[in-house]
Amino acid sequence: MKAKTGKTIQRIRIAVQVLFTFLFFYLLLKSGYARAESFTFTDYFFYFDPLLLLLNFLATGTIITVFLLSVIPLLLSFVFGRFFCGWVCPMGAVMQFFTWLFRRKDKKKKIKETVDKKLLKLKYVILIMLIIAALFGTHLGGWFDPFSLLTRSAALTVNPAVNHTVSRVLERGAMDEGFVSKALNPAYQFARKNILTNKQRVYSQAVLIGLIFFALIMLNMYKRRFYCNYLCPLGALYGIVSRFSLFNLKTNKACTSCTACKNDCTYAGSPFKDYMKSECMTCFNCVDDCPADAVDIAFALPRKENRTTIDLGRRRMVGSAAAAVFLAALPRAFVHAKSKIHKFLRPPGSVKEKDFLGKCVRCGQCMQVCPTNFIQPAFLEAGVEGIWTPVLNAQTGYCEYECNKCTKVCPTNAIETLEIEKKKKFKMGIAVIDKDRCYTYADGYNCAVCEEHCPIPEKAIRFRDVPTWNFKGEQVTVKQIYVVPNLCTGCGICENKCPRIDAPGIIMTAEEEEREFSYDY
Amino acid sequence: MKRREFILTTAAATSVACLPSMFTMAQAASGALVVKVEGESPYDITKKAVELLGGMQKFIAKGDVVMIKPNIGWNRSVEQAANTNPEVVKAVVEMVKEAGAKKVIVMDHTCHKAEDTYKRSGIEAAAKEAGAEVRYVDEKRLTIHDFNGVRLKRWPIFKDFLEVDKFINVPILKHHGSAGITIGMKNLYGILGGERGKLHRDMGQGIADLAGGFKPHLTIIDAYRVLLRNGPIGGRISDVELKKTVIASTNIMEADVVAVALFGEEPMRFDFIRAAAEKKMGFSELDKINLKYLKI
Repeated sequence: MKAKTGKTIQRIRIAVQVLFTFLFFYLLLKSGYARAESFTFTDYFFYFDPLLLLLNFLATGTIITVFLLSVIPLLLSFVFGRFFCGWVCPMGAVMQFFTWLFRRKDKKKKIKETVDKKLLKLKYVILIMLIIAALFGTHLGGWFDPFSLLTRSAALTVNPAVNHTVSRVLERGAMDEGFVSKALNPAYQFARKNILTNKQRVYSQAVLIGLIFFALIMLNMYKRRFYCNYLCPLGALYGIVSRFSLFNLKTNKACTSCTACKNDCTYAGSPFKDYMKSECMTCFNCVDDCPADAVDIAFALPRKENRTTIDLGRRRMVGSAAAAVFLAALPRAFVHAKSKIHKFLRPPGSVKEKDFLGKCVRCGQCMQVCPTNFIQPAFLEAGVEGIWTPVLNAQTGYCEYECNKCTKVCPTNAIETLEIEKKKKFKMGIAVIDKDRCYTYADGYNCAVCEEHCPIPEKAIRFRDVPTWNFKGEQVTVKQIYVVPNLCTGCGICENKCPRIDAPGIIMTAEEEEREFSYDY
Repeated sequence: MKRREFILTTAAATSVACLPSMFTMAQAASGALVVKVEGESPYDITKKAVELLGGMQKFIAKGDVVMIKPNIGWNRSVEQAANTNPEVVKAVVEMVKEAGAKKVIVMDHTCHKAEDTYKRSGIEAAAKEAGAEVRYVDEKRLTIHDFNGVRLKRWPIFKDFLEVDKFINVPILKHHGSAGITIGMKNLYGILGGERGKLHRDMGQGIADLAGGFKPHLTIIDAYRVLLRNGPIGGRISDVELKKTVIASTNIMEADVVAVALFGEEPMRFDFIRAAAEKKMGFSELDKINLKYLKI
């Protein structure tokens, strides 16, 4: 095949890749947090992820119908190989971009990367472990899955970080009284209106998630598309399928064995040597690079000699499976599994805890769309396997009464869609007064900020005149607040708005939460 | 000194000492007209009310930058009557523009998320339609303001409210859990930043100090739909009653007193009216207020 044709295909591929990446980020940003009622279509990419379909099925025994869409790219892979990684995947595009950015310009100094067959096996081990762990009820796909990973990283770390930087640069200039201010103020006002969030978004796990994403990007300096080649379980799944695909790259007689095709190969192999269908992302860099037009596309039935792949070896497969069985059991041995008390609350519409952990893919979309920054990624409060699952934090936000966005974006229905009238009644928990802290009890003076903010029309927080002693020791009549448990939904606005600064005088708890709570397996 | 002399001098001294306060009382009471207009359209009665006060050009000079501060606190719809009626805001913006203002800004420090409340209340759309700039508060643009009050001394307020030539307060009349009722004076909470929740302690005094230390040039109270119970946020349509009234005055306290009466309550029952009366901000007795009523 002519190198020119290769170049054309390569360019089309890059265009397609950019298009999908743009679409992904457009949907992600567009569904952002500005308003309670707006666009919620970020989850569309997830529906084309067969890995999540598989793991969800294994962990919960149910298939989410819309995820059957992911069969489409899977079937296409039987024809075109791992085209998904090279043409569609936005995470792949990001990694490709940084690989390109970090490449050594000087060809002489260029470190000749060679195929790392050992490391290539890692992603298959990860895939096997995820599958076995899911079989035993622990669904950790979200930690590794490219869509979850990219959505989580972009929404919870990159986006707020960019927002902070831009607003800081602009507002520093715009706040001064003087020449600089006059020049920068229009830019600041424009940015505030169109780009920046009105209030800086914060996420409890931003540092950890951000560092991991940063590390994954930096690893591209060490190996090309490090994450895609060595870590991505979805890539591994497509790799297994691609083994049996019709698509092959072959060198013809014109080949001079110059190994130029190796220069830009994503997995550092080449059609000339170490060609592996399971690793080839059909990027067509090799066709473009070949000076002798010696690389050809060859569609052929996947006979045994055509199934070029990494051989994981029976030992390693059994070994990683056995290890996964043990690792999957660990969270069950963690203290959380027995504790009767749980101190975290889940977003409205969340399914019972057992199913929740089996469904949630830790993508962070619910956290991103929450208009008040109420939903936060958990660290250990929901158990080891609950890391980065959504929990509610009334210190950063509250559940907006007129909003049901989080219930609409969840791709796996760990948070089920609730119509707005239903959501208004959904009990996430209830509010409990800390009488040692609440001003109306502890200090004996009127406050009732929580009563004022309670969104329930019938008022789940009320007050009554009670004779008591105030902080000066005088006898007074105070409007003491109380909660009406059967009206309270645990929206947390009372805790959020409580003026007390050491610890709130009213807190939301998971007591009386509507969904069934049980770690029972 | 004889007893008689002593009594005489004491009496004289006391009356002299009292003079200034008597003087201010007389001053506060002089002239402030309160108008109350009832009618079917919130837009029309707002315009009529300002007309009765002498027209907007009486308060706005050509080229003024004018701030209009409605209550946009809550993510509630117009029918739920937790925010100022957008038609009222629209009428005010239009009048201010017609009077020759250079720029009209509509903003409030909301309780719920601003993006939501501005939209659902209908105020964003109405104000923009009438040609105003709609602005969110910027937490970075705060400055400490001296209120010199009993309870409220120094507190951060948004610079935007100080950078304008005229300030028009456009509250809604509604029930309020801890203050009892919220009208014009309480609406000024929206200029404050900081931990406003702290001000709920001894709130009545705080409200009076606030209104005493930051005087709007005009107060136009929307009492078209009035939330009678479960305020300030409400939610149930059954708690809302149609009063179809707008009250306007340059004296914020007297406007509030008239509104309290419309609500069907005794003004002196409320801490903030008592505190404002003590500060001599106006009359708390309805019969002493220079009130003009019109039904259209």
